[in-house]
Amino acid sequence: MRGAYKDLREFLSVLEQEGQMLRIHDQVLAEPDMAAAACALTEIGESSPAIHFDNIAGFTNARVAMNVHGSWCNHALALGMEKDASMRDQFFEFVRRFQLYPGALERVESAPWQEVVIEKDVNLFEILPLFRLNRGDGGYFIDKACTISRDLDDWDNDDVENVGIYRLQVKGPNRLGIQTVPQHDIAIHMAHAEERGEDLPVAIALGNEPIITLMGATPLLYTQLEYKMAAVMQGSPYRVVRTAKGLDVPWGAEYVLEGRVLCGVRETEGPFGEFPGYYSGCHKYPVIEIDRVSHRKDPLYDAVYVGRPWTEIDFLQAMTTSAPIFLQLKQTFPEVVAVNALYTHGLVVVVSTRIRYGGFAKYVGLRVLTTTHGLGYAKIVIVVDEDVDPFDLKQVMWAISVKVNPAGDIVTIPNLAENLLDPACSPGGIVTKMIIDATTPVAPDVRGDYGEELDKLENTDQWRTKLQGLIKEMRK
Amino acid sequence: MTSPAGNLAPTACPRCRSGEIRVLGKSPVAAVWTIFGCPTCFYAWRSSEPEENVSPDKYPAPFRLRPDDLADLKTIPAVPPRRSAK
Repeated sequence: MRGAYKDLREFLSVLEQEGQMLRIHDQVLAEPDMAAAACALTEIGESSPAIHFDNIAGFTNARVAMNVHGSWCNHALALGMEKDASMRDQFFEFVRRFQLYPGALERVESAPWQEVVIEKDVNLFEILPLFRLNRGDGGYFIDKACTISRDLDDWDNDDVENVGIYRLQVKGPNRLGIQTVPQHDIAIHMAHAEERGEDLPVAIALGNEPIITLMGATPLLYTQLEYKMAAVMQGSPYRVVRTAKGLDVPWGAEYVLEGRVLCGVRETEGPFGEFPGYYSGCHKYPVIEIDRVSHRKDPLYDAVYVGRPWTEIDFLQAMTTSAPIFLQLKQTFPEVVAVNALYTHGLVVVVSTRIRYGGFAKYVGLRVLTTTHGLGYAKIVIVVDEDVDPFDLKQVMWAISVKVNPAGDIVTIPNLAENLLDPACSPGGIVTKMIIDATTPVAPDVRGDYGEELDKLENTDQWRTKLQGLIKEMRK
Repeated sequence: MTSPAGNLAPTACPRCRSGEIRVLGKSPVAAVWTIFGCPTCFYAWRSSEPEENVSPDKYPAPFRLRPDDLADLKTIPAVPPRRSAK
């Protein structure tokens, strides 16, 4: 395993060495070129590279990186694995490291992002190369930043400090809207602040190394610190610097915005093209005022294009969603082999499990619905046997095609709460959920007429290793 | 119609048609683009964007807003009551 990336620049240079980074020197328009290029990359294939723009009309030295996490190759490299690591291998490695929590923080006094400081007349439109992502978006959104906050009721407790990725609409020179759905930890911090009648101090770190971004997108417990999880994911203590207000910010960030969520203020926000592939509506959301911006010289800005799946956001939410569901499921049912919650932030979940006895698969499916993430998401759960790879949809489709008899293999539960952003909800936030049992019936469930399944010939595994080597040689 | 920075100041928000427009920022390279914002609905746009984002007449109908609709938007999260002094 490769060592930790100290900053985004180091990760991009590794991507470049691995043939996973494209530099565009031609001049581009802020709109629609950068988002259009990122959208195009998602259509190019599963090994698409990151992209870096350094010549954006109207800007003097803006640099923008997109699609940094936007392929399994890039995701593997972010984890310090070989770039051709399979989805399945990345899942198991992610899960292995996840269970090593907690790691340590490495606190240092200074960081490159302190090189340039702007405290007067902050104008985010002139400091950051902001641009519209989707044509119906209500404005310019920062969507790949880590927002850091602490609990005013428990200020010195590091474990309840929160690092999360929340969309931020830049509405004025130093004014942001923030989407904080009530289930997220920052909403708890905000609630405590507003109950106390105080603004909530926040620090917003942009342009981070790839691991903390993944952690900011992972549903951790309130009492788990994303920096401590990043430490075990990258294999070394996570380096942070404390701001004057007392918030820990990644050492490697390119920009840090410091400000406050304004107590009791709500303002029109949105819409924004969101992970289900639809625009969210407009709502009255909280507001952040920025008091100070710090950044590195020649700073690098990164953004994630969110479009109709699959786009980069799906890679950001892939393993980060699957691992917590898997670990909670495994605690209840040791028979569970793997969980694929890659699709639309886990609205669909495929679980592979050994079957304890007839009907067991449905119990496993029900447990998915009651995991922390499952409560707000998992709408369609497909349960497959232990020898069906849930990450290989060809195998999953085969299982559905021969092992499902809808008379008896489909369970639906009406009127369950689910994420507001799922357009299928009716009314908003309420949906029927479904479990599909695509496992082979076993006693005492005697339905179907399942004879002997075709299996691999002897020596197949040795042949596979040999042939993979020969194919690699042939294609050099 | 797209307008270069400083040439034709917009008179109405493309999204909600409110007449009050603010300049939010100008291109670091002079006269390439200007960013405008609507203090009513908080829509922001850059003068160099495609027509559908800068012109009230070309702004896509499904995304249009009326200022009167804004008051009915849901507040999330709800503002909690203040803790009473002990």
